[in-house]
Amino acid sequence: MRVVIGEDEALLREGLSLVLANGGFEVADTAGDAQTLIAHARRLAPDLVITDIRMPPGYTDEGLRAALEIRRTMPSMPIVVLSQHLQRQVAIQLVAGHSGGVGYLLKQRIADIATFCADLRRVQAGGMVLDPEVVSLMVARARAGHKGLRRLTARQQEVLALMAEGRSNVSIARALSLTERAVIQHVSNIYTQLGLPPSDDDHRRVLAVVRYLSQQGAPT
Amino acid sequence: MGRLLYDVPVTQRSPVARSLGAALITLAVSAAMLGAIELSLFPASGIHPVWVPDLFTIGGLIYATAGLVAWWRRPSNGLGVIMFGGALIWLAVALANTAVTVLAAAAIVLATVPLAVVVHLLLAFPSGRLRSRAARWTAALAYITAVVLQVPEYLFAPPGSPGGMLAAADSPGLAAAGTWLQNVVGLGVMLATAVILIARLRRAPRTQRRVLLPLDLYGIAAVLLTPLMPIMIQPLTGMSDAVTVAMQVIALSLVPVAFAAGMLRGGFARTSEIQELGAWLGADTASRPSLELALARALGDDSVRLAYWVPAQYAYTDADGRPLAMPGAGHGRAASEISLDGRRIGAIIYDATLIEDPMLVHAAGQVVAIAVDRERLIAELLASQEELRESRTRLVNAADAERRRIAQNLHDGLQTKLVLLALEAQQLAGKPGAGREVAGAAAALRGRIDAAAAELRGLVHAVMPAPLIERGLAAAAEDLADRMPLPTQLDIGVDGALPGAVSATAYFVIAEGLANAVKHAQASKLSVGITRTEDTLLVEVRDDGTGGAAPGSGLGLRSLADRVDTLGGRLFVTSQAGLGTSLRAELPCGS
Repeated sequence: MRVVIGEDEALLREGLSLVLANGGFEVADTAGDAQTLIAHARRLAPDLVITDIRMPPGYTDEGLRAALEIRRTMPSMPIVVLSQHLQRQVAIQLVAGHSGGVGYLLKQRIADIATFCADLRRVQAGGMVLDPEVVSLMVARARAGHKGLRRLTARQQEVLALMAEGRSNVSIARALSLTERAVIQHVSNIYTQLGLPPSDDDHRRVLAVVRYLSQQGAPT
Repeated sequence: MGRLLYDVPVTQRSPVARSLGAALITLAVSAAMLGAIELSLFPASGIHPVWVPDLFTIGGLIYATAGLVAWWRRPSNGLGVIMFGGALIWLAVALANTAVTVLAAAAIVLATVPLAVVVHLLLAFPSGRLRSRAARWTAALAYITAVVLQVPEYLFAPPGSPGGMLAAADSPGLAAAGTWLQNVVGLGVMLATAVILIARLRRAPRTQRRVLLPLDLYGIAAVLLTPLMPIMIQPLTGMSDAVTVAMQVIALSLVPVAFAAGMLRGGFARTSEIQELGAWLGADTASRPSLELALARALGDDSVRLAYWVPAQYAYTDADGRPLAMPGAGHGRAASEISLDGRRIGAIIYDATLIEDPMLVHAAGQVVAIAVDRERLIAELLASQEELRESRTRLVNAADAERRRIAQNLHDGLQTKLVLLALEAQQLAGKPGAGREVAGAAAALRGRIDAAAAELRGLVHAVMPAPLIERGLAAAAEDLADRMPLPTQLDIGVDGALPGAVSATAYFVIAEGLANAVKHAQASKLSVGITRTEDTLLVEVRDDGTGGAAPGSGLGLRSLADRVDTLGGRLFVTSQAGLGTSLRAELPCGS
């Protein structure tokens, strides 16, 4: 699998390259700024683009804008955005605007090599991956804003958070030490309780949950 | 602060001015009564149509009106007095038409004095004073011609004539000779007057010449035509006596009107309404128009600028502390220095073509010197205050830049290194050769490094939040609200870039307000509003909690208030028991 990396910090660029090489990815090229990243993505048409959100020249959100620009011209290009600080609006911007193949992770997750590589593969396969931290932020906000979520049991809330992270039923079952049947039952109950449209598609499921969380979070 | 922002016109007049007003009103009433009595004295029949005698009285009243208006508006200018004197002469001359012989005789004695009055006005315009020796002599000669050379007219008149009671001998020859002599000398007086006026016209600036020339021509024409009309124009045109007299009266009685108008409106406002300046000084500060405006009115020059001397900069400034250049030579502008106790404190810059007497400007300047000094100190204070504010703003900007730099360094350096360290620890844990114990220790180490990284993220966030750097105030406020444990309503009406210090300050206000509400207010709902008018950013955090927070309490709020103040903004805490608390900041953000 060919990957293009956008990261301005040389040491981290090297580290990331190493992790990916060890994880069975081929690093097609690396870019130290947003313009080069866009150029590489167009030229090399890789299987996956990974980019830091803060990039030269302005050190603001150039990396994010480059990712959105790449998706605009190459709508099926899987992209993972890394950041030191996760923001709900960025997560929504990434999830809502795109049909799969998007990830939004804390930079620190790189260190958990196995999980990180698995997340990259899910994104490359068209999945949605949201960092647990940004999901818990959304869940906490939704809980503060609306009674709907508080009707769910603690277990159901755990399942909902993992759904929002983009996990499959199998993955959720493994994470919570449940059987897959039990997870399916929880998911079904959650759908009924929250009045969500049922969906087998993991991506649509993420979208529905994220949307629900966002709406519930807005106080009236 | 009350400084130069008043728009109340000067209306106060000094006690002296009020007394003058009363005196002038008395004079006006007296003149009107005199005129009315005169009109009633005129017999209903005579040689002329009945309205002819009335003309003289009306002419007198016109003189009186013009004189009193001029006197009132320019108390220190002599023209008004001369005109009112002329009015008395006119009223006396009008008595020639009464049946009372004594009065009629007096009128004959004074009959040609109105012409001398016109000459006097011509020579004294616009100051009301006869400035040169030539002018004084010419005016004196005019009056002598009118009074002394008039004597043969009635001394040698036939006994039945109006001046008959003064006649010593009926001698038409001597009377005619007297009239001839009076005409010749009168003509000489007019020539001398013309020479003086021409000389003065040549010296006058162009703006004044436009007013002076028509006035001079009209005055001279009126004087010359009055004796010439019955001699030359009447025989040529065949006008009746009545019409001739009417034309003489009209020509002469319009003279004071023209002169009064010229004096008041023709840019000759060179009076010392310094009294008015005194009244201005006495008025209370709040209702007082600006010093500059008061000077402009007193000097009759709208273009007057007041400059304040700032010794520290060795330069003049205006009232707001901005530098003001002194006029160079030859631009029609001049400056008159104002000093107090031998110190230079300011200058009046005025239009030298409009005000020909520098001493007048100087005198006006000295009258207001103390006030100028006071305004000067205010201007100086404002300038230094502005300097202080600028330096504090520079400090805030420098501090923000430093915060950004620290955040950026931590982000690029330490955080990156922690990621790499965690990566190494994880790799160590995953190494095929590593024993269980080592692998477990390495994984635990990675966990601790991750925890340290999270702590560092929190620290960096407090120094200069990433969302603010990356996506601006609106996104950063949303991020803050997202992290609140209470429902937080956002109302954001800003887009586009804000100055760095402003958006950072606004962010810290919101963060402080939200944190306080969560900590102390026992609130159930929070709201954040950000709106922008043309040049102000308004930020408000409200809660529906218990209220009653003491304003100014807490170090956070106090340092925040300092920061807001430094940017020239204001911070308000409104907290009434039971009504929640609101923290509001107004930050100037004009470009």
